[in-house]
Amino acid sequence: MQIPQDLIETAALKLKSVQSEAEFFQLRAQYLGKKSFVVSAFSKLRDLQSDKKVNAAKELNVLKNNLTKLFETSFEDIEHKSDLKKLDVTLPADPFFVGSEHPITKISQKIINYFSSLNYQIFSGNEIETDFYNFEALNFPENHPARQMHDTFYLSSSSKSEYLLRTHTSNTQVHAMLEEDLPLYMLSPGRVFRCDSDTTHLPMFTQIEGLVVDEDVTFGDLKGVLIDFLEDFFNEKMEVRFRPSYFPFTEPSAEVDIKFGKQGWLEILGCGMVHPNVLNGCNIDTKKFRGFAFGMGVERLAMLYYGVTDIREFYSSNLDFLNQFPS
Amino acid sequence: MKIQYSYLKNFLNTNLSQKKLSDVFTQVGFECEIEGNLIEFDITPNRGDALSLRGLEREFYAYQSKKPSQKLETSLLKLIQDKKIINEIDGSGCGNYHLMLVKGLQKIKNLDSKKRTFIESAGIPLINPLVDLGNYVMLELGAPMHVFDLAKLALPINVQFPQEKHNSVTVIGGDIKDVQSSSLTIQDQSGIQAIAGIIGSEASSVSSSTSSIAVEAAFFRPEVIVNQARKYGLATDASHRFERGVDPELQQLALERYLFLLGQIAEHDSVELYYSYSIKTKKKNIKFDIARFNKFSGLSLKASKAILILKNLGFKVHARSEKNVTFKIPSHRFDISIEEDLYEELLRSYGYDNIPTSKPKAGPITNNKQNHALGNLRLGLVHSGFKELMHMPFVSRDSFHQLNSNNWKPAELHNPINENEPLLRGSLFKSLFAAVNSNVKKGHTSIKVFEAGNVFKKEKSGFTQSLHLSGIVYHHEPQQTWSQKELTYNFFSLKAEISKLLQTLGMQNIELQKASSLAPFNENVLDIFIGKQKIGVMGEIDLSVTEKLVKKQAHGFVIYPEKISLSSVNPKIVKTSKFPLSTRDINIVIDKSISYEEVESLISQGTIKHLVSFSLINTFEGKDIPKGYVSMTLRFTFQSNTKSLLESEINSSMQTILKLLEKRLNAKIRS
Repeated sequence: MQIPQDLIETAALKLKSVQSEAEFFQLRAQYLGKKSFVVSAFSKLRDLQSDKKVNAAKELNVLKNNLTKLFETSFEDIEHKSDLKKLDVTLPADPFFVGSEHPITKISQKIINYFSSLNYQIFSGNEIETDFYNFEALNFPENHPARQMHDTFYLSSSSKSEYLLRTHTSNTQVHAMLEEDLPLYMLSPGRVFRCDSDTTHLPMFTQIEGLVVDEDVTFGDLKGVLIDFLEDFFNEKMEVRFRPSYFPFTEPSAEVDIKFGKQGWLEILGCGMVHPNVLNGCNIDTKKFRGFAFGMGVERLAMLYYGVTDIREFYSSNLDFLNQFPS
Repeated sequence: MKIQYSYLKNFLNTNLSQKKLSDVFTQVGFECEIEGNLIEFDITPNRGDALSLRGLEREFYAYQSKKPSQKLETSLLKLIQDKKIINEIDGSGCGNYHLMLVKGLQKIKNLDSKKRTFIESAGIPLINPLVDLGNYVMLELGAPMHVFDLAKLALPINVQFPQEKHNSVTVIGGDIKDVQSSSLTIQDQSGIQAIAGIIGSEASSVSSSTSSIAVEAAFFRPEVIVNQARKYGLATDASHRFERGVDPELQQLALERYLFLLGQIAEHDSVELYYSYSIKTKKKNIKFDIARFNKFSGLSLKASKAILILKNLGFKVHARSEKNVTFKIPSHRFDISIEEDLYEELLRSYGYDNIPTSKPKAGPITNNKQNHALGNLRLGLVHSGFKELMHMPFVSRDSFHQLNSNNWKPAELHNPINENEPLLRGSLFKSLFAAVNSNVKKGHTSIKVFEAGNVFKKEKSGFTQSLHLSGIVYHHEPQQTWSQKELTYNFFSLKAEISKLLQTLGMQNIELQKASSLAPFNENVLDIFIGKQKIGVMGEIDLSVTEKLVKKQAHGFVIYPEKISLSSVNPKIVKTSKFPLSTRDINIVIDKSISYEEVESLISQGTIKHLVSFSLINTFEGKDIPKGYVSMTLRFTFQSNTKSLLESEINSSMQTILKLLEKRLNAKIRS
């Protein structure tokens, strides 16, 4: 008696394409039913000689067992398939909220990430500050006209020191220079306040200030790190220009402009070599150490980066505006 | 400072276009903006010397490495000292005082139309030819002048601070000003005739009938002029220049120039120039070390090149040694006082853009000082669907007191931008309520927002700031879904959200304790602790403190990120069991006044063998449960580290639990 070699394989193959219980039982009858090869082969055994009969019976039993097992295990899968409730998977999801960081946080973080990779330490500093840290220690003597560039909010206080809302994050430089070891590589992000409000100025905005005090720091180092930062930030080769300017706490001072598409040259940050008066005031040996500092307005960078045209939007709590910023 | 382009072009004797000329000045440090036929110069406060055509001319020619060839015509005068004309000048406020007396003026004509247009386009109104001429010379040379009607002055003049406490003067234009004792004044024998460097009196001002004048040119010290004009609400072109500094050697030249130009518009009989000075200003000399400069800048410039550049800028070599060159600083460059100032001049002229750049240098590796949890918390909230907002910190007195207890003293601004919001916030919630309100008005119905920022407090001495992270969840109506499930957000949704947030950040030992109501929360409120440290509060918002900005039940929280040190959340890892977990449920009935917290702490402290965790899976009141009682279904999970637990071992532990609950809480076991 000849047993087909691929009987099991073809059965397994056919089982795979079975979609319903009815199809399954039809196929099962084909392989294990009355008219199947196995059942009819058993009935043909009696026609064989007794020595061949034993071997053939053995082989047939193995085959029958294997087929039975195959159909048994497949039946569970078929049952799962037929239990499946078909969904309209195109229906909407359950309600969910999409969160996001504020664009000013995102841009601040982008800037911090660059300078953190250069081991600049992060200091947040005080938003309420004394006149000493905000002005005097930064070489803005009392009655200096440069103070008029800063419309300052003062606090009502009976104490001797004059308290104010910091007008720049440079106050944090002074704290760090007085309190930290040298060399110092630092970044101070935070909110600053000016008593000024119109369509392009807000009484509060965000600044990030950087300071390096080390031996042999040069103006070329300052230029190098700022150009590299700007190219990293905008992720392209930038046309950058440094232009003389004036800040009481740096000498020389510069404004940095970038060429920005059709808008032409845009002022993007201020910087300079730390004024010796500032270093001396913080007990730093100016024969050994020099420093550079830079500061940038985060709102301005965010406006350029995202193409926002009205600075007031950032503080408007307008969800329709904020929904446009991905996390 | 606004300058008419065509006038400037002629003065500088250049053919550069308006755009190119603006670019040149921007490049040397005077940022320019083009406004029609004008160029507006943004002159930094240290460069008062550039606030004139002459000042701009010096910069323009230095930029081209040339010397200006133009000499302005003047009528030379001899200086006379006479106490009958100028009696005393107060040296603490005035360096020198010049008064040119011109008598017998007649046939006075207007200035030519070019000069008049030039003056007007600089934003200075035309008043009277004699005054206009003073303003013209100021714009040309940078020395402000004041013209008195000589017939109305009772000479001699004193330049001094007012002696009496109350002095009032009617200034040009008719306003009466109460002159403060800190203001330097020009006084004649009848009283104050001018507030020095700011404005003259109406009484001694020139008019169309004036036939003799006293023209003043002086050096008032910047430190006595600064902030004075603002006090009187009189920021004038003169005060702007004086507070930035005027060349102390310019006064005689300016008067001689005035006299020359006066000759073009009027005839006069006689002229005399009187002066008085306190201390002659010393010429400054500054040493310049080329090697130090090169180290500072990153350049390798030769000494000869550096000297050439500085000479073009008007600095003369005073002495020279092998290492140093000493430069004499011209009188108009009062901003130059240290060697680094010369570096700036040199680099400015050399061109910042021509300085080679170096690759970014990294600092030494140090531990970051900012070690609190704000960044992580913020990201956690974002992933839970919260949107971050930012607001100004200014609040009204009412909303401050709604949200802060009486012993929280507010930080108050002396000069608020909006008088109704003079205080700095002591809570972030006012802005969050306003944010809910404005977005609900726009039609948003479900809002999840948070803000991170400082809140401020006045202390006995000084002020403190602390970082808050506050959020609010608000549903104006229950969220509907197409599958007909109605999703409601309640206190326990918030509790789950905050617990998930803190535990995801690794804070496993969070304790939530029932708290007493504190604004902005009502009585359904929990304090959040890590150990003994309170790190926040969460609960239902008390709608009565929201100033009607929030209409329906909202849920909120505040977390203090500075109280959570990142190093405190490092987990201790233990070996896990490889044996299976077993669970058992029980039903108990207890007095409703017993809080779940009591059940929880009883079991937690009961050292039950093999118990790994337990949870409340159901509560029930009503049928079969006596009034004032509640049924709780608790699920206990057991596991051993060393073996699979036997039924008898689990049963024994369950018995211990049941006894505890019966004995301590009088709980009844429900079958």
